[in-house]
Amino acid sequence: MIACTSRDEVNLVAGMFARREAEHATTVIRTSSTEYVELWREGQLDVDFVVSSELETAHAISRTLGVPAARHTDVFAEGQVQLAEFDVAEGASPTVLHASLRDAPVPRDSKIAAIIRGDETILPGGDDEIAVGDRIVVIGSPEAIKAWSRLLWPEGGAVRDVVIFGAGRVGTAIARVLLGQGLSVRMIEASKEQALRTAESLPKARVFNATGVDPDFLERERIGQSQAAIFAMRDDAKNHYAASIAQVHGIPFTIAIAHEAVSVGAFHRAGIDVSINPRAVTAEEIVRFAHDPRTQQIVMLEENRYEVLDVTTRDSSRYIGMAFRDMPVHGSIIGAIVRNGSAIFPHGDDVLQAGDRVIIFTEAVNAPWVVEAL
Amino acid sequence: MTQVSARIGRPRRIAIDLWAVIHLVGSLGKYLGLAAAFPIAVAIGYGDPFWPFLAAGAITSGLGWGLERVAAHPDRRLSVREGFLVVALTWLLAAAFASMPYLFAGGEQLASPIDAYFEGMSGFTTTGATVVTDFDELNESMLMWRQFTQWLGGMGIIVLAIAVLPRLRVGGRQLMESELPGPEIGALSERIRSTARRLWALYAVLTGVQALILASFGWSGIDDAMTPFNAVAHAFTTMPTGGFSPEPRSIEPFAAASQWVIAIFMIAAGANFALLYRGLVRRRANAFARDEEFRLYVALIVIAAAFLTAQVWSYGIAGGEEAFRVGLFQAVTIMTSTGYATADFATWPILSILTLFGLMFIGGCAGSTGGGIKVVRHLLMGKILRREIGQTLSPESVIPIRLNNAPVDERTLRAIAAFILLYVGLWAVGAAVIAVDIAFTGLGVPGLDPLAISASAIGNIGPALGVTGPMGSYAAVGDVSKVTMIALMWVGRLEIIPVVVLLTRHYWRL
Repeated sequence: MIACTSRDEVNLVAGMFARREAEHATTVIRTSSTEYVELWREGQLDVDFVVSSELETAHAISRTLGVPAARHTDVFAEGQVQLAEFDVAEGASPTVLHASLRDAPVPRDSKIAAIIRGDETILPGGDDEIAVGDRIVVIGSPEAIKAWSRLLWPEGGAVRDVVIFGAGRVGTAIARVLLGQGLSVRMIEASKEQALRTAESLPKARVFNATGVDPDFLERERIGQSQAAIFAMRDDAKNHYAASIAQVHGIPFTIAIAHEAVSVGAFHRAGIDVSINPRAVTAEEIVRFAHDPRTQQIVMLEENRYEVLDVTTRDSSRYIGMAFRDMPVHGSIIGAIVRNGSAIFPHGDDVLQAGDRVIIFTEAVNAPWVVEAL
Repeated sequence: MTQVSARIGRPRRIAIDLWAVIHLVGSLGKYLGLAAAFPIAVAIGYGDPFWPFLAAGAITSGLGWGLERVAAHPDRRLSVREGFLVVALTWLLAAAFASMPYLFAGGEQLASPIDAYFEGMSGFTTTGATVVTDFDELNESMLMWRQFTQWLGGMGIIVLAIAVLPRLRVGGRQLMESELPGPEIGALSERIRSTARRLWALYAVLTGVQALILASFGWSGIDDAMTPFNAVAHAFTTMPTGGFSPEPRSIEPFAAASQWVIAIFMIAAGANFALLYRGLVRRRANAFARDEEFRLYVALIVIAAAFLTAQVWSYGIAGGEEAFRVGLFQAVTIMTSTGYATADFATWPILSILTLFGLMFIGGCAGSTGGGIKVVRHLLMGKILRREIGQTLSPESVIPIRLNNAPVDERTLRAIAAFILLYVGLWAVGAAVIAVDIAFTGLGVPGLDPLAISASAIGNIGPALGVTGPMGSYAAVGDVSKVTMIALMWVGRLEIIPVVVLLTRHYWRL
């Protein structure tokens, strides 16, 4: 049972009701309030899973800030395995370009799952090369992903200082997560009451009551000196415009919330580095639950052309005991396995064992087959 | 049409229900008069005449009972509006009650009604300013009555701080966040009653503990001057930060151990009683460390004490342990608005006098029996100023002001700014009136003294400088000055705003 209407209380009541009527049904509830998530974590809500679009969005942004060169990131296995999608641009370190992957100094504990070159997808082997203009999907440890980010965007350091436009529910949730990681956060909110409420609830954030597009204000407060800006206002058009102004003022890295899916493309054209659609983030989180019970997590990439699955192998799988170099390709590639709770980034000689959790990149059309085979 | 006009009736332009006020004041007076039982018992014990106390009690209770009867009316309307007047009148009545025994049997030095009322107001506002010069002329029961009025005044302040001031938004902060004010003042809610009872019990227990410690010093020979009478007398005026003493030279004649004990109890008396309750009774020691106001309070005491100690030592007034003790005691007694002294600081070097003069404007913590501006108002005023400066640079920045991590609403902050301005304004006006009076009466009190007298009265401290210093008295100042001081003590004790509200036209008329 998935309750994902726009009203929290309706979802909550539906979840409770479902639990009473069908004890064994899996219940998933979407909420816009982080308080319900906390209640659920404390065990106060009798549902199987609570998804908060605000919180998921905030975590997505926090991951993105850790890997500023990535367009998209996701985590698996309680954060031990990270996935990132990078666009390879001109500024990338030349050592990783123009060399076969076998010889290039790629970070340890990571694996390129795919190179997307135009319409073509390459599941790379040791002979392939990365070129400018490629989009690559990397699976690896969080450190390795950060190392990739540094390789592909050498001048972009770790972000310590951000400015958030919009201090509504989404903006506040983002600020809370980032402040919790020790980042310095400034917030800009047009509504006086909302600005005051946010300032009261977040003592560590500096809150300004301003529109965010007033050049005098932006100049006086040196907003352009922030390393990154996040646009979390309620209106996509405002986010779009404010992001453009912020870029003019010199903010090097911009992340915008796209409430409508169509805005993602528009934001990309406007030069916004990362667009996050809270609905897509939430849907992904919910879909994980609707899958095969062995599938713990699923991530959709490139408008659902690819999926990354987190699947536990069956005892009866015919790949048990097989070395990775001998496995068939079939449009899929194993990025990492989790064995006894810790992540392993396998080499050709490693052998798959029963009960391993496999993080596997696959074309979406092959996904059912991959799950079946494992 | 006639029906409608009958319903509309005659214009009623009076905005407050005076009968309700009279009824409640009468009812409070009725119970207040019963307090005379204690001095009657003391008088009987010491063989002194007890009729002055009996008469004072009978008159107060009788008057209260009469007012209550006269004003008995089925539909009284008692709201916050009436509360201001009730509070103001109650303190005037209590001071009158306190002054009656002086007038009846106080001898020559208290024979003038102004002098007697001055002594009574000084007692019930826990100020500690006195017009008595010859303490030997007063018998034991009369001396104990002076002490006891301050102890009663302290109880009044506790209930004022819990039940009344938070509703009038002048307490600086609500003493206990859970005790949100209801609409009725007359019928105190059960929560407020039980809080008042608990804090009164703490107040009484601390008084008892102090009396026992001091008396044990007397019994054990540590302090020969500390008779049981003195132990009780000083315990009565320490917890209410009063400062009356049956000794002409205040705490000076007592041993060092007694002075240390009194200093420690003064520090406790200047702290927020709700905080003391949480820390001492509920045994949450970190409650003190977490409270911003208490931290600042202790820091100010330490700084002032260190400064005075250095002064006293370097000028050769005292040395060693005595220098520390003298420095701490004088800093605490003035800052908490108690008004005892172990040294005649009026004769100290000017820098020390200015330090003490500055301390007069600090006061105790909100929710204590101390007077003055109160530490929390200084704390929040500092935050207001810091925000103001920050917003000059960044006009758009939104900076909520927090106290103990909870945001303070803007309305309360404005009330604090208004309070401090009114306080300073009234102090200046009072000082001017006293200065003019002194000039006319030719007392020849110099320079700073009118400023100190006014500050001492409005801060409910007691001693000022010069002849009105800790070892002197106010006997010599003119009647105009005394009346001014009575008014300042009264206004200062009630935290100014409830009294000032009474002076506005719209308080009385629609």
